[in-house]
Amino acid sequence: MYVLTMSRKLVFATLCTAMLPFSTASAQQATEIQISYSNGQFQPREVRAPADKPVLFRIRNLEGKAMEFESTSLRVEKVVAAKSQGVINVRPLKPGRYEFYDDFNESARGVLVVE
Amino acid sequence: MGAFIVLIGLSGFARAGGPASSDASSWREIETKYIFGFTTGSGIGIEGEKEFTTDTIGRFGKRGGRYSATETKYEFEFTPSQFVQIEFGALGSTHDIRNATDLDDRRQVAFSGGFGEFRYLALERTSNNPLSVTLAFEPTVRLVDETSGERVHNYEFETTLNADLELVRNRLFAGFNLLYEPEYTHTLLDETIRETKLGGSAALSFRLAPNVLIGAEVWYLRHYDDFALSAFTGDAVMLGPTLFVRFTPKMFMTAAWNTQVWGREVSSPFSLNLAEFQRNRAKLKFAVEF
Repeated sequence: MYVLTMSRKLVFATLCTAMLPFSTASAQQATEIQISYSNGQFQPREVRAPADKPVLFRIRNLEGKAMEFESTSLRVEKVVAAKSQGVINVRPLKPGRYEFYDDFNESARGVLVVE
Repeated sequence: MGAFIVLIGLSGFARAGGPASSDASSWREIETKYIFGFTTGSGIGIEGEKEFTTDTIGRFGKRGGRYSATETKYEFEFTPSQFVQIEFGALGSTHDIRNATDLDDRRQVAFSGGFGEFRYLALERTSNNPLSVTLAFEPTVRLVDETSGERVHNYEFETTLNADLELVRNRLFAGFNLLYEPEYTHTLLDETIRETKLGGSAALSFRLAPNVLIGAEVWYLRHYDDFALSAFTGDAVMLGPTLFVRFTPKMFMTAAWNTQVWGREVSSPFSLNLAEFQRNRAKLKFAVEF
């Protein structure tokens, strides 16, 4: 039987610890935020979430064409097809303002306020 | 340098095509990874984003005759999570060398190796914290020596710390890199060479328009003939302008030009260090995201 030496166990444990933040899924309960998209605008344009908890965005695209929910500071993007819904998981966030937008429409903006 | 001026002229095209507002607070946030020239920003992209890039670095000017060499990365980059970015690709090189001191004459184009890069965002920027820091590791295997163009087996392990600071919201950014780059080379003559490049940089980038940033950077580089940083052979300071242009939401370019403004070689009377570094270097990168 293969037995892990102490040094291999240490390397394995280090790798496991290092991989923890790579997963956006979290055991913590996520704060769900629902946003709809119509007439080229997000509704609501400003949403709020508590700090240090994962966030789940549920985007309902009510328009007849696709939109791309994107945010540089949240580091997420998702194309949501016409008349459909998209779900985006975001890591636990520090307090602050996180802008999001439709990458296909310069004027569609919104902000997530984490506090 | 002339080509760099042409690129700045072309950036006017992107500027004209972008949103007209001069109010930077209404501009979208910008990804900082490529806005500082040779200095790499802390950005790691967006989860799920993929990018194909060609990234060419040209090195020009050695002591003596004519020296021109380029290395191009054909690179695939993706961001599997909100903390990690992975890149890999192939390398192609060109060498045009004539009568340069300590180098054989050569004109060649070659497939020269491959590389991978792993980037981990250690500290993220928020609206309350302007500093962002990323650690990056880039192992590279070369079959052609970067400087001389000779056939070799070269193994490099570039380790960098990429930090940047948003000094004025959406307008002015400062970038800083620390570099430790050990490499091991085995030549066709059965020689083994161990060397290390150590350095640091500072850069400023100003967002002239939503899709155009211009700036300047300075690099201080040291060279050692071992891994332990005890056999110092020389150092140099490189300085020059940078340019970043986003043509469309999914396509951008970055360019930079560095000139060696100071340098020294251990036990050599010459000013400038043209043995381990070059007189000028240029960078031109095009990227398409999908």
